[in-house]
Amino acid sequence: MATTTTIKLTEMVEAYTSDLYSWALHKVSDSELAKDLVQDTFMAAAEKIDTFKGDSSPKTWLLAILNFKIIDVYRKKVRQPVRMDDQVFAQFFDEDGSWKYEKRPGDWHEEETNLLDDAGFQEVLKKCLEALPEKWSTCVKLKYLVEKDGEEICQELDITPTNLWQIVHRAKLQLRDCIEHSWFKQ
Amino acid sequence: MKKLMHILFLSCLKATELIEKKMHFRLSWMERMQLKAHKMMCDACTRYEEQSAYIDQAIEKTRHENLSASELNQFKQQIVDKLGDSD
Repeated sequence: MATTTTIKLTEMVEAYTSDLYSWALHKVSDSELAKDLVQDTFMAAAEKIDTFKGDSSPKTWLLAILNFKIIDVYRKKVRQPVRMDDQVFAQFFDEDGSWKYEKRPGDWHEEETNLLDDAGFQEVLKKCLEALPEKWSTCVKLKYLVEKDGEEICQELDITPTNLWQIVHRAKLQLRDCIEHSWFKQ
Repeated sequence: MKKLMHILFLSCLKATELIEKKMHFRLSWMERMQLKAHKMMCDACTRYEEQSAYIDQAIEKTRHENLSASELNQFKQQIVDKLGDSD
C-alpha cells in the first residue's frame, strides 16, 4: 500500500472510528460484533480507497460500506430457521381466538408515566428482547434498524411480507407479556 | 353467534395480527374496516395496539454504552495495526 493512502486511512481511523462504532452498536446491539464490523469496514475501505473520489465526505463513504455490512448481518439472522408453530397463540388466546382472561393486556398508565427514559424499564425491555429467539427480536427491531418500510425490508432481507409480520406478531405478543410481567406485576 | 362475529369483526388473534401487519404494511380497505370495528368493541386489543406502538418507541430509544476514551484509542490502534498487516 502506498504511503499516502496509508496516511489517509490512518487519518480516517482517527477521525471516524468513534462515530462508526456508535452507529454499528446502535444497529446490532452487540459491542464485539460492532467492533468487527467497523474493522471490516476499514479493511474494505483500504481495498477500495482508489475508487473513493471524494464526491461524498469520507464519513458518508465509510458509513455506506458499514451499512452494507450491517444489512448482511440482519440477512443472516432472519435466515435462521425458527419453528413457526401455533404454540405461542395457544398461550394467549382460547380456541376461538379471544384473549384468555389472564393474558389480556393490563393498564400500563404509559400516558402518565415516562417509562421511555426509565433505566429500569429499558433494562426489562432488553431482557425480554433477549428472551426471544434471535430471529424474532431482529424482526421486531428491523423497522427502526433499517429505517425502511415493510416492503423494502422484505426485499432487502429476502423474506416474504407474510413471514415478516407473522414473526413480528408472535414476537410482540411474547415481548408485551414479558414486559408486563417483569415490570408492572413485579 | 361468536363465529359470525369473528367473521365480521375478527377474533382478537386475527385483530392483533392485523395490528402488527399495519405497522409495516398497508392494510386493505376490508382489513381496515374490520380492525376498526373490532377495536370499537374490544378494549384489550385497543390497549394492545397502544402498547405495541409504545414498545416500538422504547426499542428506538434503547441506549448503548459507548467505549471509554482508552478503549477507543486501543481499538483505533488495533485497526491501524490490522491495516498495516495487509500491506
